[in-house]
Amino acid sequence: MEVSWEIVLRGLRKGIATTLELAKVIVPTAIVIRLLQAGGLMQWLAEATAPFMGWLGLPGEAAVVLFSGYFINLYAAIGAMLTLSLEMREMTIIAVMLGFCHSIIAETAISKKAGAAVSLVLPLRVGTSLAAGLVLGGLL
Amino acid sequence: MILLEGLSNGIASVWVLARIVIPLMVVLEIARANRWLERINRWVHPPFRMLGLSEEGAFPVLVAVIFGLLFGSGLIIANYREGRLSCVEVQTMGGFMAICHALFEDTLIFAVLGIPLWLLVVPRTVVAILVSLVIYRVAVKCFLVPAVE
Repeated sequence: MEVSWEIVLRGLRKGIATTLELAKVIVPTAIVIRLLQAGGLMQWLAEATAPFMGWLGLPGEAAVVLFSGYFINLYAAIGAMLTLSLEMREMTIIAVMLGFCHSIIAETAISKKAGAAVSLVLPLRVGTSLAAGLVLGGLL
Repeated sequence: MILLEGLSNGIASVWVLARIVIPLMVVLEIARANRWLERINRWVHPPFRMLGLSEEGAFPVLVAVIFGLLFGSGLIIANYREGRLSCVEVQTMGGFMAICHALFEDTLIFAVLGIPLWLLVVPRTVVAILVSLVIYRVAVKCFLVPAVE
């Protein structure tokens, strides 16, 4: 096995460079997400879209769970889910939808940093998530 | 106040990330110097070949699927600068990784609520494979990108 200071140093340098590169995305998105949470945009969106939740086989109040997952993260979605009394069928639909698409702000920025086109990745995730909801809402 | 909270959340995440990414890059650099990475890549490669991914491209996708988008993307960021990955390959990998990543963490979060495991794993994996197949085929057909050996 070949290990030299040169190799270790190169690894350290790459690790630090990659961390800094990702930090440029993570810190701003963390601030944006915190602002979104405080600003009540999600509450507003959830109220506006509640009437359409039936298409996905979900009650209107489930919109809050979906938007928490989409904009913040899966843990926030579970937190929101546990404050409602949803049936297993509804929780399953939400879980599969959020599997396809979650933490949009942070993860889209990371994907972009890794070279993927936002115009590819974002519609793909939102589209597959909604499609999963429509399919499962009809099937389950 | 809220801005500060966001900032401290962000810095906390970066610190968690640094403690994993920096040692990981050192280990990978040692693995590369000893040609272990080539051996791992050759072993990982076959299922990803039909999606148009090279040996260098399959590894970050696998890391993303197992450990999460952040780590897979970190590897691409480290490698893309070195010119090891083609542009089409980066889009194919991006499509796959965006849909299917952190299969353990994301699945366990919901599995503890009693949601069927297979519903959390199979659809994401199948759709990710289909999506990257389409991206690759379209790129080969429409942009005359050479197919992967």
